[in-house]
Amino acid sequence: MIPFVRENMAPLMFGGMVLFMLIGFPAAFSLAATGLFFGFIGIELGLIQPDFLGNLTYQLFGIVSNDLLLAIPFFTLMGAILERCGLAEDLLDSIGQLFGPVRGGLSYAVIFVGAILGAITGTVAASVIAMGVISMTPMLKYGYSTRHTMGVIAASGTITQLIPPSLVLIVLADQLGRSVGDMYAGAIGPSIIQVALFCIWVFILSIFWPKDVPALPEEARTLQGWQLWKRCLWGIVPSLGLIFLVLGTIFMGLATPTEAGALGVVGAIALAASYRTLTWKLLYQGMSTTMRITAMVVYILIGARTFSLIFQGVGGKVWIEDLLIALPGGQIGFLLFVNAFIFVIAFFLDFFEIAFIIIPLLAPVADKLGIDLIWFGVLICANVQTSFMHPPFGFALFYLRGIAPPSIKTSEIYWGAIPWVVLQVILVLIVILWPGSVTYWIDRSTRIDPSKVKIEIEQPELPPPLQLGPLPQSQ
Amino acid sequence: MEPLLKLSRAIDFINDRFGEVANWLVLLACLISAGNAMSRYAFSLSSNAWLEVQWYMFAGMVMLGAPHTLRLNEHVRVDLLFSSVSERTRIGIDILGIIFFLFPICIILMYFTWPWFVESWHIQEMSSNAGGLIRWPVKLVLPVGFALMALQGVSELIKRIEALIHHHRLQFEYEKPLQ
Repeated sequence: MIPFVRENMAPLMFGGMVLFMLIGFPAAFSLAATGLFFGFIGIELGLIQPDFLGNLTYQLFGIVSNDLLLAIPFFTLMGAILERCGLAEDLLDSIGQLFGPVRGGLSYAVIFVGAILGAITGTVAASVIAMGVISMTPMLKYGYSTRHTMGVIAASGTITQLIPPSLVLIVLADQLGRSVGDMYAGAIGPSIIQVALFCIWVFILSIFWPKDVPALPEEARTLQGWQLWKRCLWGIVPSLGLIFLVLGTIFMGLATPTEAGALGVVGAIALAASYRTLTWKLLYQGMSTTMRITAMVVYILIGARTFSLIFQGVGGKVWIEDLLIALPGGQIGFLLFVNAFIFVIAFFLDFFEIAFIIIPLLAPVADKLGIDLIWFGVLICANVQTSFMHPPFGFALFYLRGIAPPSIKTSEIYWGAIPWVVLQVILVLIVILWPGSVTYWIDRSTRIDPSKVKIEIEQPELPPPLQLGPLPQSQ
Repeated sequence: MEPLLKLSRAIDFINDRFGEVANWLVLLACLISAGNAMSRYAFSLSSNAWLEVQWYMFAGMVMLGAPHTLRLNEHVRVDLLFSSVSERTRIGIDILGIIFFLFPICIILMYFTWPWFVESWHIQEMSSNAGGLIRWPVKLVLPVGFALMALQGVSELIKRIEALIHHHRLQFEYEKPLQ
């Protein structure tokens, strides 16, 4: 028994993690508990040294002193403010009228506004809620099919995930040890492909099933000519300003991603003030949600680091490597397997759990197989995006259920999402088979590494000096 | 049971106050970061102290805010099974989880982080960056955060045992957190 445990400690620990997580206690604690539980078994079996656990302190300190993780609260706060400031409503109203006369016009409008909001903020919830509330009613009123309406809103809300300055990309860059700027540059190509795929699908619908996506009737087009253009500009100009403030400063090397997030918050507050929607309550609610999300996410990271420290201590890294390198098909085989795995696991785990638990296990193997980690990261990001859409646990669908009128059946929301999940899988396949879609933009981007723009580069924390006993007395 | 419930309410009160502090740290850290970025370009003015205070605040918002988040039941779960079992089973899972997962973790992490703070306090450790800040406050926030989390665990445990005995529903049911 004991030799068996000693030999198979890594797989046992992995199984233990799955078991502990399935119980349903908050994941952060389940993960840490798996780590410590197996840590003590490991010490008993002599697999790891007792003071190995002391490394935990350094891991914890590394988490709280990580400058990049500060981007999580900043981008979340920015999203929370923008969500309710009225920008999305303005954009949708004007762009909807602009595209209205075309078949499927409102769908195109929702996709474009999703992309614009995606280029401004980095979080998903914000845009889905905002868009859902405003676009659902007119779409249903003017005869768009319920399924299509639900699908296009959910899908467009998740575009934010892939389009820089996505929070997901920041976290992945941190986990993969790559620069955020390169990660953003790499995501540009797939983002464009994604928006194109979505539009092509609406176009196909408008040709084969025109009844699902009718053009706006004459009486719904209240704005004409110059008036209409003015409204559009009124919505788009502030958006471009915000995009510059956040993305522009990152790409030009003026600010770190974290600082860009903070500048974005200031911009969002200014925008809300100009829309006269800035209230103390809105701001404080934003702060409060942001704090809770940040605390929740970082606690998962604490749990995940505890787990992976011990997991590596008992030889988990070697085990995973042996397992995955043995896969047939080299790079492509590995990527197909990993993406299928993440697609499935995303039904059960949320993005941060995947990023903090699964990615650190996969990244070294990918690196060893000669896979460009930026390509890998963007791929994972596009893949994880499906987890926001696929029934029944997808976040976007969950929100939609919350705001959709009760007359809409949950099954229609689920059915509506499926074509868009398929489109997303097509995107993942395109990116796997055509790495150039990612690398093309990296080569073109400035060679400045935005995460190192700082004038003073912070030194890594040095371990405290050793406590040596008094020097032996010289004779 | 009544004295215990009083204790639970007292703990909730304390951690709600820390939660408010954490809320403020979000906005403060944000303004400092934006201000620092702007002043660097406008006046070429920036300092390591301002950079470091941002992640001190980050540590604060996480460690001091997490217990309040636990009270609101907003730590994410893998709810594959959890969402399909009865309310009483869920309470049972939470009770066991608090006793066997949450308490040991908080205690062990306190055990590891506390001596670190004491050490840093004794030698008055300074940041290794020029013009950096003194280190002990951020090292103190770790064990304090875990202690507050353990306290909140006590409060949640009391509330759940009470709910189990008196067939109450919990005030904060679990919902997937927004993201």
